[in-house]
Amino acid sequence: MQEHKPVFVDWCPGCGNFGILRAEEMAIRELGIDPKKVIVVSGIGCSGKIPHFIQLPIGGVHTLHGRSIAYATGIKLSNPSLEVIVNIGDGDGLGIGMGHFVHAGRRNIDMTVIVHDNGVYGLTKGQASPTLHRGLKTKSLPRPNINDAVNPISVALSAGYTFVARGYAYDVMHLKDLIVKAIKHKGLAFIDVLQPCPTYNDINTKEWYDKRIYKLDNDPTWDPKVKSEADQQTKFERAMLKALEWGDKIPIGVFYENELVPTFEERIMQNIPNYLDYYPAKQEIEKNGESTTKIDELIKAKRV
Amino acid sequence: MSRYSWMIGGAQGLGVDTSATIFGNAVARAGYYLYGNREYYSNIKGRHSYFQVVFSEKPLHSISSTVNVLATFDAETIFQHFTEVTDFIIYDKGVEGTNLDMVRSMEPEIAEQVRELLSKNGLGDTVKDVISYLEKKGVKAIPVNYLELLKRVADAYKLPLSVVERAKNIISVAASMSIFGFKLDYLKQAISSLFKNDLFIKFNTMAAELGYSLTENHYKLPEIPVSKPRIQVDGNTISAIGKLAAGLRFQSYYPITPASDESTYIEANQNLDMIVEAGELRKGGAVVVQAEDELAAINMAVGATLTGARAATATSGPGFALMAEGISWAGMNEAPVVITYYMRGAPSTGLPTRSGQGDLKFALNVGHGEFPRIVIASGDHEEIFWDAVWAFNLAEKYQTPVIHIIEKTLANAYSVFDEDHILGKKIPIERGKIVKPSGDFFRRFEITEDGISPRAFLGEASMFYAGDEHNEEGHITEGTENRIKMYEKRMKKLETADKEIPEEQRVNVVGDGNIVLLTWGSPKGAIIDAMDELKDVMMIQVKMFNPYPKNLMRKLLQGKSKIIAVENNYEAQGAQILTENTGIFPTNYILKWTGRAITREEIIEGVKQIVEKGEKKVVLSAGA
Repeated sequence: MQEHKPVFVDWCPGCGNFGILRAEEMAIRELGIDPKKVIVVSGIGCSGKIPHFIQLPIGGVHTLHGRSIAYATGIKLSNPSLEVIVNIGDGDGLGIGMGHFVHAGRRNIDMTVIVHDNGVYGLTKGQASPTLHRGLKTKSLPRPNINDAVNPISVALSAGYTFVARGYAYDVMHLKDLIVKAIKHKGLAFIDVLQPCPTYNDINTKEWYDKRIYKLDNDPTWDPKVKSEADQQTKFERAMLKALEWGDKIPIGVFYENELVPTFEERIMQNIPNYLDYYPAKQEIEKNGESTTKIDELIKAKRV
Repeated sequence: MSRYSWMIGGAQGLGVDTSATIFGNAVARAGYYLYGNREYYSNIKGRHSYFQVVFSEKPLHSISSTVNVLATFDAETIFQHFTEVTDFIIYDKGVEGTNLDMVRSMEPEIAEQVRELLSKNGLGDTVKDVISYLEKKGVKAIPVNYLELLKRVADAYKLPLSVVERAKNIISVAASMSIFGFKLDYLKQAISSLFKNDLFIKFNTMAAELGYSLTENHYKLPEIPVSKPRIQVDGNTISAIGKLAAGLRFQSYYPITPASDESTYIEANQNLDMIVEAGELRKGGAVVVQAEDELAAINMAVGATLTGARAATATSGPGFALMAEGISWAGMNEAPVVITYYMRGAPSTGLPTRSGQGDLKFALNVGHGEFPRIVIASGDHEEIFWDAVWAFNLAEKYQTPVIHIIEKTLANAYSVFDEDHILGKKIPIERGKIVKPSGDFFRRFEITEDGISPRAFLGEASMFYAGDEHNEEGHITEGTENRIKMYEKRMKKLETADKEIPEEQRVNVVGDGNIVLLTWGSPKGAIIDAMDELKDVMMIQVKMFNPYPKNLMRKLLQGKSKIIAVENNYEAQGAQILTENTGIFPTNYILKWTGRAITREEIIEGVKQIVEKGEKKVVLSAGA
């Protein structure tokens, strides 16, 4: 048996990534999934290192800047029995990788996307990320940010994500619960995790967030789950409206949850009925050194 | 060997392709082998497109500079191609009065050339002038009153004229069949097998009968007895079938000409028959994802390989450029992804629907950094099939990206060949060092003697991949000792491949003359077809550019009087790779970068100019 040496976690002291790492580990443990079946796919940046740091025998795929969702799509669709979690950075996933982030919503593949949202590009020394609000000048910026921020929640909602939530890296138990829900959700789940960067973002600090964050669940009437077709429009509109709330009060929790939309896997099954039982990675394409695929009919169809 | 060339042209979107396929199918039924080449603008409807079909009693692989019979139903085809016609032109009597200015879709440059030629001969600029030009040259012109014939078809089936309009194609095809002396029945069979709609079959059959009676049997071509089944396929289709046979189960792509047809064919035929246990049919399935861009396409495919599925993408130059970073990741992570690279006219968007070989060095060097990239290139349709299978075997054996080059010329051309060149033959599948992990953790990048690590799949044990330099476990490390060993391990795979793959498999050699025609990809066909008229020649076609067959090439080229590089590019890039690997330079060049295929006659003429006139370099230009 090959041994596993623990990897030194080289994030800055106090980094919000620690909270996300612990919450993710706890969620995987709580769900009791065989860790080797959990594939954590990441991009480039501080967040990208997370697969190496998880203290569980998972599968980790540390990919390219912005492309982790594409890798995850290939992994999940060729082996849908795997539990795929994608950890993206805000620059990584919502900047250079925004195209994949949006298009993933159109597919609704049964996997989970977690964005480490700290407003800055950490590993390149603190440039403004797409989620940093206009006018802010973090200590690493030469001038105040002149770009407006994207709103990850409303983008995810309009792109078609069927589970949309926001967590906070320093509320690990709450975040763990969100990740558990996201993994259990049938379809593409998204969690925007607010994550202070103690090194480069001296504005959206722990203190700044602690004063503003509140839980959607505090409101007993808040029920984000779509239970019927008729429910869909109202729940979606309410989630969209809530997504706009930012400033003195910042909501965390589940914004929207809809399992009525068919997953991409279900859509594939319309064309390949045994897809889930005999998925691409499972098919025995070789026997005794020869192909098992019979192309006779394809060739004969071309006879003249 | 007798060789006949037929061409049909018309505005894009009006069924030129379909009619050329039907003609080819019918001619093949008479026992002939054929090669058909498609040329079209980057346009959906209205611009000039044409299809040349060359046929013979023996297999052939190239088009001709001249056309025996030109089938037309518009004016532009006549203006664009009349100089190529040697024997017959079938044309619409209704367009006789059309002049060059009235053909708005024609490029002014071409119209001016035509005007000049006609005026030199004391002629005006109408179709009628062209016809008299041709008749003076001994070409027989066959005027057809398409409108009148179409009205009869429309009346017979009580259909509006607009519905039966495309039957014009069939009328001209039928008239051609009759000139060559092929049975009408073959055309009727071709119509029945290629149209799906019953009504279409009926009225096209009537059009065929009408067209057939317009002309007389001139060539009196005999039937060729056929002893075994033959197939008619284009490059996109045979590549797709080859990939499926190889066990492809995941393909991601972004639409691009001329690659997309491969992916759509795979999707249409994604439900596969498999026999894993003797006598037991099992249904398999290949997932096809139309990605949001080529960045997604390559990276989805690379991701899929990590699960053990054979995965690939198909693209062309602009898409391949976007894939560079993903290919580099695949190299770093030893992911066996296959990229089918349909090469077209570049740089940039270039000639999007024409062919080209200008990206060979790009394919060989794609992606930042040093890592093994195996690059193979096919020279004809049969090769495409077997190379597609080869590509996956190489990818898995050496755990590295494999780029399979198919040019647009072959992608869109079709040929007819014996079915048993594929069916009934063993389709070898070599998956390389695959192991079942015994513990919880798997060292994916174990350092080994030959550079190839045992490979297990995601989900089977804990394992890690990283684009950063990594240790045997796949975790990031910047340590120098690991860097030296891991880097060497990756690079060593290419040496292992070079040792293991017989050089004879990497080169095709035909003939043993003193004049070497050195090529790769599609020019192979024109060279082989030209060889019966050339003396003292030898064709060397390089099929694998990395690892390069340098020992064999040195041996083959030793003492040769001439080494003529024949390529569809400006730089003779394939020859540059020869020089890089062996120090041997070509002595002469036959080059063409118009995006049009090299014809058989161009090779013959080009070699003559070099051998007899001492030309260093011949630049080709045939084809509208």
